[in-house]
Amino acid sequence: MAELIVKDVALRLGDNEILKGVSLSVPAGQVVALLGPSGSGKTTLLRAIAGLETPHQGSIVIGDTVFFDTARGIDLPAEKRGLGLVFQSYALWPHRTVFDNVAYGLKLRNVSTEETKNRVEKTLSQIGLGHLAARYPHQLSGGQQQRVAIARALVYEPPVILLDEPLSNLDAKLREEARAWLRTLIVTLGLSAIHVTHDQVEAMAIADRVVLLDNGLVAQDGTPTALYNEPAALFAAEFMGANNRLNGTLAENSGGRAVMEVFGERLIGMSRTQAVGGAKATGIIRIERVRCASSPGPNRLKMQLKAPMYLGERWELVFARENLTVRAYASAPLDPGEHYLEFPADALWVF
Amino acid sequence: MPVVVYRLLVLGVTTLVVVAPLSLVIYQSFLTAPFFDPSAKVGLLAYTFVLADPDFWQAFWTTIAIAGGMAAIAVPLGALLAFLMVRTDVPGRQYLEPLILIPIFVSAVVIAFGYVVAIGPVGIFSTLAKDVLGFVPWNLYSLLALIIIAGLTHVPHVYLYSAAALRGLSTDLEEAARVSGANPFRVAVNVSLPMILPAILFAGVLVFFLGFELFGLPLVLGDPQDLLVLSTYLFKLTNKLGVPSYQLMAVVVVAIIAITAPLVFMQRLLLRQAQRYVSVRGKGLKTQPLPLHGWRWVAFAGIILWLFVTVVVPISGITLRSFVVTWGEGVKLRDVLTLDHYRELTDYPNVVRGIFNTLGIGVIGGAAAVGCYTAIALAVHRWNSGWTRLVDYLVMVPRAMPGLVAGLALLWVFLFVPFLSPLKSTMASIWLAYSIVWLAYGMRLVSGTLLQVAPELEEAARTAGASDLRVKRDVTVPLIKYGMLASWLLVFLIFVREYSTGIYLLGPGTEVIGSLLVSLWGTGAVDLVSALSVVNVVMIGVGLAVAVRLGVRLHG
Repeated sequence: MAELIVKDVALRLGDNEILKGVSLSVPAGQVVALLGPSGSGKTTLLRAIAGLETPHQGSIVIGDTVFFDTARGIDLPAEKRGLGLVFQSYALWPHRTVFDNVAYGLKLRNVSTEETKNRVEKTLSQIGLGHLAARYPHQLSGGQQQRVAIARALVYEPPVILLDEPLSNLDAKLREEARAWLRTLIVTLGLSAIHVTHDQVEAMAIADRVVLLDNGLVAQDGTPTALYNEPAALFAAEFMGANNRLNGTLAENSGGRAVMEVFGERLIGMSRTQAVGGAKATGIIRIERVRCASSPGPNRLKMQLKAPMYLGERWELVFARENLTVRAYASAPLDPGEHYLEFPADALWVF
Repeated sequence: MPVVVYRLLVLGVTTLVVVAPLSLVIYQSFLTAPFFDPSAKVGLLAYTFVLADPDFWQAFWTTIAIAGGMAAIAVPLGALLAFLMVRTDVPGRQYLEPLILIPIFVSAVVIAFGYVVAIGPVGIFSTLAKDVLGFVPWNLYSLLALIIIAGLTHVPHVYLYSAAALRGLSTDLEEAARVSGANPFRVAVNVSLPMILPAILFAGVLVFFLGFELFGLPLVLGDPQDLLVLSTYLFKLTNKLGVPSYQLMAVVVVAIIAITAPLVFMQRLLLRQAQRYVSVRGKGLKTQPLPLHGWRWVAFAGIILWLFVTVVVPISGITLRSFVVTWGEGVKLRDVLTLDHYRELTDYPNVVRGIFNTLGIGVIGGAAAVGCYTAIALAVHRWNSGWTRLVDYLVMVPRAMPGLVAGLALLWVFLFVPFLSPLKSTMASIWLAYSIVWLAYGMRLVSGTLLQVAPELEEAARTAGASDLRVKRDVTVPLIKYGMLASWLLVFLIFVREYSTGIYLLGPGTEVIGSLLVSLWGTGAVDLVSALSVVNVVMIGVGLAVAVRLGVRLHG
């Protein structure tokens, strides 16, 4: 097992600059999620690591093996990299049985028939499909196909397994089960993995580390808790979680504390900006951190309740004042009319 | 073998095979005598001769008239037929579809012979009409008749492209028009047909282009009135001067290609345009056909009438003729029925050889050709390089050469290159000519199948550790197996039908039914020609039936 290091990779498709210098590392045994909105380049980065796209700059190295390096003119073809890749569409070969799909990687490595049989059976039983070896892909359910695709990528024990939105083709309920199953499998087998997803909850649940991509660049790289609780930039803060956005003017900014003015009221928050007083400021706060109050007080704004919505386990309340809309959660509906909303200082980021 | 070697090898062979015959023709056209003649010098003599020949210009303008006329007939009828078949509730549509395509698959010479024996001056239907009416209300041997027949037999080409475009068109556009109050006719004229106009335009250029390839019909129907088109002018040149006037033939070939090449290029542009237009793909919903009410039977009768004129008349004519001793006024069918013509077929060893050769070129040659087309298609498949462009253009080159011309060009190659000469009198020469002539068609069939292979299936094999060639062997080829079988069947059909490509290569050992028919017709052996035509039609009928039974799409 060795560490996968991606350094300053840039890639163009046609005239489109997809990756603009991305670096990241995957230490042995770690699961890294590549997270980002569509078009951020996460799948392209994964394909570049697999050798299916060719960057025009940068290097990709695993341990002592150089996969790709523009400086040294090395570009190892995909088949020589020995990685495992699970496709979004699973890409199971329809003309081969489950057994033959999984066995193909071993056949290419000239593994004896006897050992191939043992290893395929072992892998299939690990994913709980030992009894379906003789079936063809079209005879399996979506969830089963997805497991076969994972088995096919695992069977020859690649140093890193690459997963391209493997859960996105499953329906919502199955996806949550598969998420837990996949995380358990990866941890049990001690695999290194890169998991591409646009679903932040999935990324945080499954990964040890999340790399957030924005428009071909790494926006933030850290543990799920760091990404969620300490966003470094506005993009990260807004991409993770469900948020309220307050526009105002920066009043003070010193010592990690910032004060912004909204509707003439002073809101104290954590500073995430270098700007000085008088500049425009954006406040971001997670919906679940907004508190409803009945009286004025520090860090509170007077707002009008517009629409209470019942979500099952709680209520979502939509407040408005002029062009500002704030959403908050509550355990019981409030009466329509004026209310005060508190934005706790340790939950409000000022950008 | 690394994939680069494979690609360059395939590219090199294809280039050679495609470019060599063409360059030889161009070279020959600038010589003053045949290339094997030691006195041959470089010069424009051949051009001045041909361009000063009034017959050439006569043939040129006749060709333009026929090509334009047949497009004017085939385009509206084909588009209307497509609308009726795809969008309305005309009765029996699923049975009509394969019947409509028959004119594409039956050899044009057979159809031409069929018309002669059916509605020629003493044809079977003509005598019938004379008995009833006292006169024959049509004249087969006229330019107008030739144009009408050529137009009617090319309706399926327009139909194919229009129908494909219509199927790709979302039906809610038409439903919107109906809800707004348009009747089916208005829907067709105001919405459906304008939406598929690029496809219709493409089909129009295609039919005009096919007018320049026309050979069988003008040869058979134009000859009695000395009506020449460019292809038959070329054919007659062989005998015109008594000596092999290769340089003159080469000039005519260059003239034909000078017209067809831009047309092929135009088709390519139009096709791309048409495909862009039909990006509004249907959602795969089962669509409700437009109800025509009482008109559906009128439409049905119209389609049947067209089928009767273009398929039933010639084919029943030639079939009937093959079973009678003679035909003419006052002959009673009962007295003249015979099977002798079929027995006579076996008296001619070249005819027997021709039948077996035709089957061989269809079955074995077809398989080999599909193999070659697949090899080329695989070489450029997923190849991210400018070289694939070259292959695109290479494939178009033979398209601009009508079969007759390609056969001639290849004959010269076999004569010109000493070590190839022994192949000239074997079926290998026929196979090579056929495979080159149908390169574009075959490539379209195979590439169409390849397009259906999802790229991830190949990428999955790459990441699992398979080299590029190994991926092709283990994943791509097994996945397109059924598509290749279907292509084989279609190539079988066109190879069995083909007649013009083999004409110049015809000799002992290289007889095929198509070229034999043309040469036998020249000798006036109508009995033999009829029987042999029926044999050809039966072969194609069996092939078509198998294709329909297996659910093969009859078009690429």
